[in-house]
Amino acid sequence: VNALEAAERALRAAGAGDRAFATATRERSLLLRFAASRPTQATAVDDLAVELAVLRDGHVGRASTNDVRDEAFSAAASRARVAADAAARAVGPGPYPGFPAPMPGPAHAGHDADTARLDPARGRAELEAAFGAAARAGVEAHGIWTAAEVETAVASEGGVAFDLVTDAFMKVICIAPSGRSGYASATAARAGALDGGSLAGRAAAKATAQGEPARLKPGDHPVVMEAQALGLLLELLGATAFNGLAHAEGRGALAGRLGTAVTAPSINLSDSPRFPRTLPRAFDAEGVPKAPLPLIEDGVAHGVVHDVSSAALAGASSTGHALAAGGSASGPLPANLVLAGGGAADEAALCAPIERGVYVTRLWYANVVRPAQSLVTAVSRDGTFLIENGRVTRPLADLRLTDSVLGILGRTQALSATPLLTSDGEFYGRRFASGVACPALRTGCVRFTGAAY
Amino acid sequence: MYAAARHADYADARHVRVRSERISIRNAALDGLDHAELDGIGVRVRVGGSWGFAGVRGDGREQAHEALRRALDVVRRQPTAPAAPLASEQPAGGRWESPVGRDPFEVPLEDKLTVLAAAAEELRSEPAVALARASFRAWRTDKLFASTDGALCEQRLTECGGGITAVASKDGETQVRSFPSSHAGHVAQAGYEHFLGLGLAAAAPRVAEEAAALLRAPACPPGRTSLILAGEQLAMQVHESVGHAVELDRVLGREISYAGTSFIEPGAPGSLRLGSELMNVTADAGTAGGLGSYRWDDEGVEGQRLPIVREGVLSAFLSSRETAAETGLPRSGGCMRAESFDRQPIVRMTNVNLDPGEAGTLEQLVAATDRGVLIDTNRSWSIDSRRLQFQFEGEAAWEIADGERRRLLRNPSYAGMTPEFWARCDAVCSPAEWRLVSLIDCGKGEPGQVARVSHGSAPARFRDVEVGMA
Repeated sequence: VNALEAAERALRAAGAGDRAFATATRERSLLLRFAASRPTQATAVDDLAVELAVLRDGHVGRASTNDVRDEAFSAAASRARVAADAAARAVGPGPYPGFPAPMPGPAHAGHDADTARLDPARGRAELEAAFGAAARAGVEAHGIWTAAEVETAVASEGGVAFDLVTDAFMKVICIAPSGRSGYASATAARAGALDGGSLAGRAAAKATAQGEPARLKPGDHPVVMEAQALGLLLELLGATAFNGLAHAEGRGALAGRLGTAVTAPSINLSDSPRFPRTLPRAFDAEGVPKAPLPLIEDGVAHGVVHDVSSAALAGASSTGHALAAGGSASGPLPANLVLAGGGAADEAALCAPIERGVYVTRLWYANVVRPAQSLVTAVSRDGTFLIENGRVTRPLADLRLTDSVLGILGRTQALSATPLLTSDGEFYGRRFASGVACPALRTGCVRFTGAAY
Repeated sequence: MYAAARHADYADARHVRVRSERISIRNAALDGLDHAELDGIGVRVRVGGSWGFAGVRGDGREQAHEALRRALDVVRRQPTAPAAPLASEQPAGGRWESPVGRDPFEVPLEDKLTVLAAAAEELRSEPAVALARASFRAWRTDKLFASTDGALCEQRLTECGGGITAVASKDGETQVRSFPSSHAGHVAQAGYEHFLGLGLAAAAPRVAEEAAALLRAPACPPGRTSLILAGEQLAMQVHESVGHAVELDRVLGREISYAGTSFIEPGAPGSLRLGSELMNVTADAGTAGGLGSYRWDDEGVEGQRLPIVREGVLSAFLSSRETAAETGLPRSGGCMRAESFDRQPIVRMTNVNLDPGEAGTLEQLVAATDRGVLIDTNRSWSIDSRRLQFQFEGEAAWEIADGERRRLLRNPSYAGMTPEFWARCDAVCSPAEWRLVSLIDCGKGEPGQVARVSHGSAPARFRDVEVGMA
């Protein structure tokens, strides 16, 4: 059973007049995990889940199952119908205007047949390459290699749409005998783009950087962030600033600020589902086609993202950013953020003007503190360094930042030229691979509120 | 298992069926009503020192064989790992169900919606509340476990609960108050009676009033002071700085690739001081109502009651059969859990509880505190990858002056280093103040797994803590 067939059968099971919307997602994935240059866990998943959403008087009831028999679809449809009916009776008419007609969206290059084979031997080769490179550097390798193929089909009375994507991710954390660590990762639609040896080499170089770790007191310091660190902050900005539901409710970080300067003029941020280095998708969870959407242009807040629910609240149209049919409780999110590159050749060029500052390669446990201010906190990890007299000189004990993401972008002085696709490779629930494409950045200061020593 | 035993040194299989329901009201409208039923088989095999795992939907013999075939295929095509034993375990057998009064899935949806709508309406009676939310959650998990060691056991776990949240906004300022806690309220291993007993509508006026009051409240001033933690914030402190830090897979470096490691060394039990003599932490898989309660873990090891910290000194880790054997423990601590059929079990917290002390009630503790702040609901949390340096922010705080709870403070934050912080604990309230708090979104593992856990605690005081940095 493929996702398209399942979605169409599920829709039929819902029956006429249900104003139903069926979503079928099939995940086939393989994830190999390793620690101390040895394999530790290997997980293969094959699942197909179908969700039926039924609309009644402006309320959406949803029910899902991974049983693909027709009777299971009928039972799910019945549960969704009962839910929507109960809501209509209990709280009166609801605000959902209706499911849009699914549109296939333009073709994209987000599927690779070779990756879809999920060949464990390919993963093994990359693990062995990583172990070899780590051994040559005298360090241990920890990390994962993973690849997946995900089919998504949506169906309603208005039509059907089908999308087929692959994704691959590998990360390597190297631990040196000194205890210092370094990180490198790669995300792509093709498993062939992952190079375990190269990743381990880059991670090992950070872990084995010479010098005793320095300690820097918390406070405001100039910072150069590698793309991986910046990508995580931009992901949080996506949730706090560009979520159309929070924006419409006045809780978003851009509430009342659209059309005004919110960052440095060098910041151009968009949601670009067909940017060459992103993980493309054809449509969102409500079947609305993906299209490029500018969010910040030359430092000026341009827009937020919407699903059908938030668009109805805001008097706007869906921009194709729904996370669930009928809208998710948390609102819509951008899944293909791209920050345009700047004029600096590389990270070394970004460091050059800094007399004394912090070089951050990766952030960890980032969490929103106050969304309306895009205030977040996070700790540096796996490679933090001191910048002295324009160059990275020695390791630095990890630091905790607590700062506004818009503020950090507002103090941006320069960006490296090439955006890289960054991801933490977190695959909770049904697999939905995404990433943020961004360059490295130099910002005038970041507020550090603690030190991990 | 007969087929698995021919090809693997060890294998286990879990058939897992999960039924869940989530209902959420947003102001006067339905925010979401989701019902899910997922069913599948996960097979885990061990060949030498390597694990292979595959999860396949369905519940038949054919699906079980397919999962086994894939798990074996994966494990055979990995780099090899040296053979290592698993801690021995008597094969589990039997059936167990968590106690339930009224089955939450048998209660009509309209009844639940009526409770939630009434609570949301009460929240909205406060004009400053711009967003009122009320939610209900329920899960039923049926697991059948078998292993090549001869285990065959079956469990049914039923969990439900809910909560409310008021978001107040004015002049660009936004503040939030939640009840009973901010992480989806309070969910317990119990029936519908637990949800009704939360009294959401009755608590709503106070919650809404506090959200509005926070808009006018002064910010928590920065500095060092005495800190009283209660409820969810103390549970979060235990969870992040103790519970995760004593997971033996972290301690052994198996989680470096994602969740991180621990500042605790494998040989630390019996000698490492984690806090003051008032710090006693127990991991208890039998706490009534706790989301970390079960008869057997997902390796078929019986749930246990383990002293983790005694009088401030580390005494044990949370462990699995593999990590127990590696560190010379005679038996697993029975802490392996998997989120679903398509995830393999990893070391997870049971109910990691801070044992009560003798400081009386919360109000008596406040009365015995000259200067300080009291925080009881969590808003933001973060800790470093070794579980050492943390920073939390609460939804609200109360200033304590001359032994009295005085004005409300907004945006209260505090930070510290785990052992130093716990060493500053100089009072823990008495058993009458001890409560369970649930956290339903604890993430760990690759691919990611979310676990539901509970922590029991009574309010505690920490001296000379840095507050107000965020």
